Amino acid sequence: MRHLLKVLCFAIILIILTVSFSSSFTRVNLDNIAVVVAIGMDKADNNNLKVCFQFTNPSSISESGAFETSDSVLKTVTAPSISSAINLMNSYLGKELTLAHCKLLVFSEELAKSGIGNSIYTLMNDAQVRPSCNIVISKTSAEYYIDNSEPDLEPLLSKYYELFISSNQFTGYTANATLGKFFDNMICQSCDPYAILGDSENIGLAVFREGVLVGELNATETLAFTCIDNHLKGFLVSVPNPQVENQNIDIYLTPKRNTKIDISFVNGSPYIKIDCRYSGQIYSMTNDSNYLDPDILEQISDACNRYLRSVFTDYLYKISKEYKSDINSLGKTSLKLFPTIEQYEDYGWREHFQDSFFDVNIETNVKSSSLLSDS
Amino acid sequence: MADSKITSKEAIMLIVTIFVSHTIVTLPENLLSNTKSATLINLIYLGIIVSLLAYVIYRLLKNFASLDIIDISEYLGGKVLKNIIGGIFIAYFIVTSSNLLREFCEGLRVAFFPMTDILSILIPFVIMLFVTNYLSFSSNVKAVSLIFPLVIASIIFLFFGNFKNFSFERMFPILGKGFTDTFITGLGNIFAFSGISCLYFIPPYLKDPSKMKQISLTSVVIGLLYFLFCTATVLLLFSFFVDVDEVLPLFSAASYIEFGVFFQRLESFFMLVWILEIGAYLMITNRFSISIFQKMTSIKYQRPLSMIFPLLVLGIALLPKNYSVIRFLETNIYAYFIIAIVFVLGISILVLANLKKKKERKV
Repeated sequence: MRHLLKVLCFAIILIILTVSFSSSFTRVNLDNIAVVVAIGMDKADNNNLKVCFQFTNPSSISESGAFETSDSVLKTVTAPSISSAINLMNSYLGKELTLAHCKLLVFSEELAKSGIGNSIYTLMNDAQVRPSCNIVISKTSAEYYIDNSEPDLEPLLSKYYELFISSNQFTGYTANATLGKFFDNMICQSCDPYAILGDSENIGLAVFREGVLVGELNATETLAFTCIDNHLKGFLVSVPNPQVENQNIDIYLTPKRNTKIDISFVNGSPYIKIDCRYSGQIYSMTNDSNYLDPDILEQISDACNRYLRSVFTDYLYKISKEYKSDINSLGKTSLKLFPTIEQYEDYGWREHFQDSFFDVNIETNVKSSSLLSDS
Repeated sequence: MADSKITSKEAIMLIVTIFVSHTIVTLPENLLSNTKSATLINLIYLGIIVSLLAYVIYRLLKNFASLDIIDISEYLGGKVLKNIIGGIFIAYFIVTSSNLLREFCEGLRVAFFPMTDILSILIPFVIMLFVTNYLSFSSNVKAVSLIFPLVIASIIFLFFGNFKNFSFERMFPILGKGFTDTFITGLGNIFAFSGISCLYFIPPYLKDPSKMKQISLTSVVIGLLYFLFCTATVLLLFSFFVDVDEVLPLFSAASYIEFGVFFQRLESFFMLVWILEIGAYLMITNRFSISIFQKMTSIKYQRPLSMIFPLLVLGIALLPKNYSVIRFLETNIYAYFIIAIVFVLGISILVLANLKKKKERKV
C-alpha cells in the first residue's frame, strides 16, 4: 500500500510537471520554430525599421539529415522596432522565430548614422541572441547585403557567417566585432564600439561613437587597429624596398608580444605611447635578392619600422581627431592613473581623447626570407 | 541524531554551499554596484574581517561544547529568549531562501522557460525539499558533498573559460568610489558572507567538535576565494560604470565561453550545476529551520514538519509581485537584515552567554 502511494505520488508529480513545462517545450519544438541565421535592419519611412530575416531552408536538408546546399529564405517586414518586426514575422510565417542560431546582424550605413544603440540594447535583452553574433555595417542596404552573401566554399550558411571573418587573424583587414563586445564598448566610459564594414567584400571597420556611426576605416587603418588591439597572429605588409627604388617588398610580420600602451597626461591632454615588437619573414624574392646579409636585413627592418610607424600614427590621429572615438579602448589603460571613479569621471576621457597625442615606437626584427635566402 | 553527525570536511562544504548560492543570482552585481572597481580589494578586506569574526565565533562557541545558538539562547535568557532567537533565525532562513529561490527561478524562466508560469518552476524545488526533508541530515550533507565540487569546478571553469575576454584594466581605479566607500561604508558588503550563520548551528552535528576552528577558518577562506573568482569574472568581463542590471550575471558570463566552433553554448551545463547548488542551499536552510522549530516546540520527530517548511518557502517566494520588488528587497532590505541577524544578533548572544558563564564561574 505504501509503495503504491509512492508510485501514485510520483505519477501525479510527473503529470503536473509535464503539463506545466509543455508550453515552453512546445514553443521550441522544431516544427514550430523558424531558425533565423541573419537579421538585417534598414531605415524605413516614418521612423520605422525595415527588418529582414534570413532563415535556413528546411528543404535544404536531405533525407539522410545532411545539409546539401546553403539555400536560405529571406523575408522582410517593416515595423517600428525590432521586437515588433519579430512579432509581425511570427504572425506572417505561422511559426515562432528563434534567434538562438543567429550569427549575423547587419545594419545599413544610413541607419547606423542615426544610431543603433536602442536596437543593440533590445537585442542584448533577448535571451536567445548570443553575444558572439557578428555585427556588420553594410554600405548598401542590409537586405541587399544579406541577399548577396553567397558563400562559395562553404555549404552551410550559418557556418559561413560564423567563420567569414576568421581570416582577420592573419590578414588584419577586418576585426571580430561581436554583439557582446559592441554592447560592452557602448556602455563603457573609456571605449567606443566598432563593427565590420560590409561591402562587396568584408574589409575595413565601421567606427562608432556612443552607438552612432561616425566613420570608417580602410584595410590599412584596420590593420593598425587590429595590431594595437592584439587581435592578430600575423599579417603581411608591403614596405618600400630600401635597396631598389619604386619597388615594394612583402614581409610577413608576427607580434613578439602584446602591444604595450602607456598613458600619461601632459597639460591635461593624454600622451599615449604605443610600443609594438614584431619579427618578420620576407616573402618577396627576386633574382638578385640577398637576405643573408645582416645589413640588408637591418635596412629592411628599418623600412618596416618607418612604414608601420607612419600607418599607426595616421590611424591613431584619425580616430582621435577626426572620429573622436576610442575604439582601441586606450582609455582603459588610463584608469590606473586615477585613484577613484569620481576623479576619472570628472576628467572625462571621452571629451579629452580628441586632444591626445601619440608616440608610436615600432621595433621590427626581419630575420630571414622563407625557403630561399640568397639568389 | 547518530546518523546526523557529519565530518569536518562535510561541514566545510555545507558552510561554503551557503556562501556560494547567492553568487549565482545577483550577489556579484550587488557587490560591484556598492564598491565598483574596488570590489576585489573590498572582498579581501572583508575576508580578513570575517576570518577574525569566524575565529571570535569559534572562541565564543568553544565554551558551550556541542550546543548551538538556540541552546545557548536558552541558557542565556530561558525559553522566552530561545523562542525569540529561534523565531528570528527561522524567519531569516525562510525569507532569504524564498527570495533566492524566486530570484533564481525568475532567471530560469527568462533563460529557458519563457512560457512557463513561475509557480511551475518553483514547484520542483519544493518537491525536492519534501523528499530531502524526509531523509536524514547526514544524507542531505552527503548530497551537498557531491554537488559542492561541481559548483567549485564550474566557477573555476567559468573564470578560465572567459580569461581571453577579460580586461584587467577594469580593476582600476583601484579605490573605486573612494577610500571611505571601499573600507568604511564598503563594510556593508559583509552581508555576502552570510554563510557564516551556519557556524551557530553546526556544533551539535559535528562528529568531532574540536575541529570547529579549522571548519570556521577554512570555510571562510574557501568562500572568499570563490567570491573573488566570481566577482572577478563579472568585473573583468563587463563594463560597470553604467549600471545595466542583469538577471543572472554569471549566466551571461557563461554565454561568452566558446572554444572554437564546436564547444559553444555551455551555459546550459552551468545552469544544471547551479540548479543543483540552489537545491543544496534550500535543503540546508530548510533542515536548519526545521531543527530550530523542533527545539522551540520540543516535538520529538522532524518528519511532520518536512512538508510545512517547503510550503512556507513557496508561499513567501510567491509574495513579491514582480522582479523589481525582488531586486528592491535584495538590495535595500535583505543586506541589512542579514547583517543585523548574522553579525550583530548572533555574536551579541554569544558574547552575553559567555559573560554569564564567566560570572557563574566566579560565583
